[in-house]
Amino acid sequence: MNLLDILIIPKDDAVAFTFFTGYMAMLAASIFFFFERGRVADKWKLSLLVSALITFIAAVHYYYMRDYYLATGENPTALRYIDWTLTVPLMCVEFYLLTKAAGAKLSLMWKLIGASVVMLVAGYIGEAFNPKGGDTAHSVMWGVISTIGYIYILYTAWFGEVARLAESSNNAVVKRGVRTLAWFVLVGWAIYPIGYMCMPGGWLNMSLGWGSENVDLFYNIADAINKIGFGLVVYSIATSSSKEDHAA
Amino acid sequence: MTKAIFFFIACLLLLLPFVFTLEGNSFSAQLIITTPFLLFLGIPHGAIDNLLYLRNNNINNIQFIGAYLVFIGLNVALWFTIPCMAYVLFLLLSAYHFGQSQFSHYLQNQAISFQALYFLWGVSILSALIYLNIDDVYIIMDQHEEFAAFKSLHQKNVLRFLFFGSTASSLLLMIYHGFKNHIKWESILMETVVITLILVCFYLMPILIGFSLYFVILHSYKVLKEEYNFLLSEKEINSVKNFFLLITPFTLFSIFGITFLFALIHFNILQISYGYCLLIAISSITLPHVFVMNKFYRLFGRNQNT
Repeated sequence: MNLLDILIIPKDDAVAFTFFTGYMAMLAASIFFFFERGRVADKWKLSLLVSALITFIAAVHYYYMRDYYLATGENPTALRYIDWTLTVPLMCVEFYLLTKAAGAKLSLMWKLIGASVVMLVAGYIGEAFNPKGGDTAHSVMWGVISTIGYIYILYTAWFGEVARLAESSNNAVVKRGVRTLAWFVLVGWAIYPIGYMCMPGGWLNMSLGWGSENVDLFYNIADAINKIGFGLVVYSIATSSSKEDHAA
Repeated sequence: MTKAIFFFIACLLLLLPFVFTLEGNSFSAQLIITTPFLLFLGIPHGAIDNLLYLRNNNINNIQFIGAYLVFIGLNVALWFTIPCMAYVLFLLLSAYHFGQSQFSHYLQNQAISFQALYFLWGVSILSALIYLNIDDVYIIMDQHEEFAAFKSLHQKNVLRFLFFGSTASSLLLMIYHGFKNHIKWESILMETVVITLILVCFYLMPILIGFSLYFVILHSYKVLKEEYNFLLSEKEINSVKNFFLLITPFTLFSIFGITFLFALIHFNILQISYGYCLLIAISSITLPHVFVMNKFYRLFGRNQNT
């Protein structure tokens, strides 16, 4: 029986350790968001559901990724990008849902999703089709294209439509929440390129000798911060706003 | 986050993957890459000093330009008599000026704790620029005999002390202003991110490219934007085109001036190296500019507060 198989985590394998803790943390966060959904005002239920979906999808992928990693010792690149292809656009949906009350249009959501697709597809080509031994030109080219998608989302969150809508929302909780999410995009999402540059041919791999095992280490840390943290910010906005509505 | 910070982050992220190709560039190659940006974005931010200074002052344009030229003349004389002092003066004034413009959008305050923050922030980034690129600096100094006099000023342990001391002090001062409610904690976090990115930029990029990235975007672009907003609020201009027309004459004048000096060197009339000449020219423009900007920021701060 598969369930009785014993997986051995080497004591000094930080990557395997973060795969396991990442899996449990994502699962716990999903359960938390699902249950807490019942405690917030109706208008916030969808946002919390999306937060729960993000962490749940990640938890399922982490379940497979930890096994893949322990069995092969390789980076589970395909599984990783399947996870991101689903969860990152959902994070963009969160921006739309938060600013919807202030007049956000569906086009905003699609623009953000489009940028996230550029970011992910370019990142995937850069990583998955990196020639054996690494090719700097390949990783640089796709890394730059991916960065353009990231910069677009960063701009939208800090100065563009999302920021403008949050500013005009007259809701201090939403303003604060959107700003916190923008911080996640600025700092939290910036951890991913560090992992990307650790792959063979990547700049950190070549000049600092950071091995490709660090790719997953950085990705796991970034995922835990961004997915769970992102959800907690949405949860905090939802509960604060619900309390204000209740008091009014 | 200001737009200048955003552009800096975007440019840094887009340039980082190319660090490999930038690394091997000689100083001359770096000059070729950065000169257009320094000339067309760096110089213009000081090209309307006269307009800024003449506001609320009882002197006319000719008197101002005369005083400006006297400052420049005195500075050039100092470079040829006591170069070390001229060099240190240039660095100290630049440090204060960089710090002042970095924090200008939060609050312009003449209190000593703010002035100390401006100065220490500037010392932090200038010492970082030299300390993190010390080998390049030594190469430049070895290549040009005029720079040899400054070698004693660039001892590694002194620079390390200056860098760590000023960085820690400026961070502590920011925290102090946070507790005093002068600056929001979010802004302190942003400034910490910014100084970290500047240090990363200086560490990874070749010296001139790293500095230009900071100077052109975080400093010059930001100051140009503040000058534009100020003149707009004072109804001195009503469009970007007006502003462009205002900054053009002295920008061109400065560019022609530097070109003229380079021509003198080329034809052996002036016998100093291009790099040394450029350093004197930049410091001579900087010296009066720092005083004008100090006054401008008082006006700018008053405008922001009203």
